[in-house]
Amino acid sequence: MTTTGIAAERRIPAVPARRRPLPWPLLGTSAAVAAVLLAPLAFLLIEAGGTGAGTIAHLIWRPLTATLLWNTVRLTVVVTALCAVIGTLTAWCVECTDLPGRRIWAVLVVVPFAIPDFVVSFGWASISPLVQGFQGAVLVMTLAVYPLVHLPVAASLRSADPGLEDAARSLGIGRVRVFLRVTVGQARGAILGGCVLVALVILAEYGAFEILGYQTFTTEIFTEFQVSFNVPTACALSLVLVLLSCVILGGEVGARGAGRAQRTGPLAQRARRRRRLGRATLPVEAAMLMLVGLALGVPVGAAVYWMVAGGAPSLTGVSILDAGWHTALYSGCAAALATVAALPVALLAVRHAGRAGQLLERSTYTVLAMPGLVIALAISYFSERYAGGLGYQTSVLMIAAYAILFFPLALVGVRASVAHAPVAMEEAARSLGRTPRAVFVRVTLPLIAPGLSAAFCLVFLACATELTATLVLVPTGVQTLATQFWAYQQNLAYGQAAPFALVIIAIAAVPSYILARYFDRLPGRTGDPR
Amino acid sequence: MSGGSDGLTVTDLHKAFGAHPVLRGVDLSVPEGAFAAVLGASGSGKTTLLRVLAGFERPDRGAVTVGGAILDDADRHLPAERRRIGYVSQEGSLFPHLTVAGNVGFGLRRGRSRERVVGHLLDLVGLSALSRRYPHQLSGGQQQRVALARVLAVQPRIVLLDEPFASLDAGLRAAVRADIHALLRRSGATAVLVTHDQDEALTFADMVAVIREGRMAQVAPPRDLYETPVDPDLAQFVGEANLIEGISHGSTVETRFGPLPLRDGRPPAGQALTVLVRPEQLRVAARAGSGPAEAGERRGVAARVVELDFHGHDAVVRVVAEAGAASPLIARVAGEVSLTPGTPVTLTVDGPVHCWPRPPAGIRDGPPVAVLAVDSVEC
Repeated sequence: MTTTGIAAERRIPAVPARRRPLPWPLLGTSAAVAAVLLAPLAFLLIEAGGTGAGTIAHLIWRPLTATLLWNTVRLTVVVTALCAVIGTLTAWCVECTDLPGRRIWAVLVVVPFAIPDFVVSFGWASISPLVQGFQGAVLVMTLAVYPLVHLPVAASLRSADPGLEDAARSLGIGRVRVFLRVTVGQARGAILGGCVLVALVILAEYGAFEILGYQTFTTEIFTEFQVSFNVPTACALSLVLVLLSCVILGGEVGARGAGRAQRTGPLAQRARRRRRLGRATLPVEAAMLMLVGLALGVPVGAAVYWMVAGGAPSLTGVSILDAGWHTALYSGCAAALATVAALPVALLAVRHAGRAGQLLERSTYTVLAMPGLVIALAISYFSERYAGGLGYQTSVLMIAAYAILFFPLALVGVRASVAHAPVAMEEAARSLGRTPRAVFVRVTLPLIAPGLSAAFCLVFLACATELTATLVLVPTGVQTLATQFWAYQQNLAYGQAAPFALVIIAIAAVPSYILARYFDRLPGRTGDPR
Repeated sequence: MSGGSDGLTVTDLHKAFGAHPVLRGVDLSVPEGAFAAVLGASGSGKTTLLRVLAGFERPDRGAVTVGGAILDDADRHLPAERRRIGYVSQEGSLFPHLTVAGNVGFGLRRGRSRERVVGHLLDLVGLSALSRRYPHQLSGGQQQRVALARVLAVQPRIVLLDEPFASLDAGLRAAVRADIHALLRRSGATAVLVTHDQDEALTFADMVAVIREGRMAQVAPPRDLYETPVDPDLAQFVGEANLIEGISHGSTVETRFGPLPLRDGRPPAGQALTVLVRPEQLRVAARAGSGPAEAGERRGVAARVVELDFHGHDAVVRVVAEAGAASPLIARVAGEVSLTPGTPVTLTVDGPVHCWPRPPAGIRDGPPVAVLAVDSVEC
């Protein structure tokens, strides 16, 4: 986990490492959380074991697998590369140049992140039959996920030491090479982290590719499981998909070890001298406008167009309210659950920087290697087959799956917030004569509350815009915004689907803007109450 | 020290983290109203000692009493919030979500008197105008003053200061230190300061306790500590030191600078001694030509300047004696800029000196412990 850890990476300068005795309750709770998070992987392996190694091997050694692998890998490589370039350039333009209107661009460039990929895909596919297959997938996914590179790179450039660029210039290196070797070099970790997230998203994506008619592992697994009820094949393909994700995560860990960008200078932060764009200003403005137009304008425009053209029937109003209620209910419960579960793990990792804490924290990130669909399948299949249908297609299981799926997201937020409440602060409060409970209420809670609510919002948003796992696990007879949108969209009822798309965009975009502002401010001061 | 039941008394304190012992039998007593400084290198256990006193850590063995009341012993461990021991950390640890006034009033009960006490303390630390600011809007020195006011608000029996000036700029440090010193004096509190900076310890405290490897090496008033440290290692730790060899002659010691009067003690005649000459005791006089040193009241030693560090108010000169390959000696001189490297000089020693018995040559290169064992006999 790197990218999202931009802010979280910053450790408090602790009191000289003093080994505290390990807090057993905290350790126990964290271990239980880690065990729950590892459960889907265990379920998947149990399923595979039940099917038998021979059958699994037979199912994998087929031409179909080769086709899926080729489709998935080439798309991942091309989109990741494009996102790396676009995300780095936009970040540099916004953070390091005198681009007019860069504050507004900084927001507009990030907003597409909040629009679910399947909505972007719907927008494009519904207005042009040309957008489909490989090219369509490249276009849609690049526009939908490049902010995953932009966000960490922008944060890294903001905190980078401008002195290094000056030093390089004074060593007689030209501007272009300074950009490539120093500026990009400093942001390398952030770029890499962003690319890993992009690749993981592409591996896990279902809705967007289904609309575009592009076949990847995830779409095939979904079809095998939901349509053909062919569990062994779905299981075998899931194993390959998880392996692919592991390769990506492992590659990131390996590449990251090669040295870190760190600010070595004194603490006082010198203002960055912005690069003058000069004659390039107009072309850059045009490029930004085009990017935002394609990434934001087209999906929103298409949804608005279909809503107006389709003349939404009166029934939609009721079903939007009903679907919205269920979306809010599931997302809210899952977000609360994930945030609470992340607290002990974060406390252990930040305050007791020992082996055990680190190991537990890392193990929770293995969830990242499990695409949402695979987690949903593992949970639903296990509950059906081995737990006697216990909880299958109930809201409890749905909420649990969400919480597991987006736990890493919650952990990033909670970890950052816990780092804002150093133990020294609690000790100071205790020595002023306050009981532990009073200290928790008056010091710890106010300090970590903003971070906890940020984590809550982050998970809430992710759940509200999640389609794949929802399609698998949603209780019978219930529709969420995403599933209702999906149902209309599949019936080509664009007019009815459009309002759902717009509601999803609205509930995702506004809070994610606020969240982006929150995480932007994190690396700065130790605590800004405003 | 007199100690007594009114102040802070620490007896045989032990604390280990895992298998690693940090405190190994610390004894300390600070009379009520006195300022003590605990001076030690990093890793010597000084911060751990402070954290035990504050109640953040429980000692493995030993006792802590304040005003006769037991805070820690084999059976008892009074939690931090019931000790009435204030703690000012290196970073100040101000609560970022509370204003200056909110921070100062944190430990007080709600009510009319709280406002009054907070106002009074803010006046005392000179920050009344900033009472509605948030900590991040204050300078480092202001933050430390707020931290102190916050501690004084609850009328602690003892105030602990954990390197509170270390995070300040060098220029600011002395001023803030003087401020806080005056404020604490006015409050009448007993204070314990932990620091690795010997200047800080010597200027701040009435008594300095040097902690070394988890034990107190020496507890003494600043002047005594500087003039009569218990062993050569301590002499070098507290200020700069020239260590030269000598032979005892009763009340004097015979060295290459001639006979020097001893500050204290009467070692048996003929005993081999290590003599402490502080840099300001070493007189440096420019010598015309390279002829032999003039014979004065005290024998001068011919030497040459190797290095001059000019500090403005004074200068530090490194000199090497011409006869005998001795290590360089350090002298502090007032504004002698003419002593450029290579200048021939005459060295003399001023004032009485302190000394320790020197162990036989064979043990000299051994670990410092060997020196320690011998020197327990005051010379």
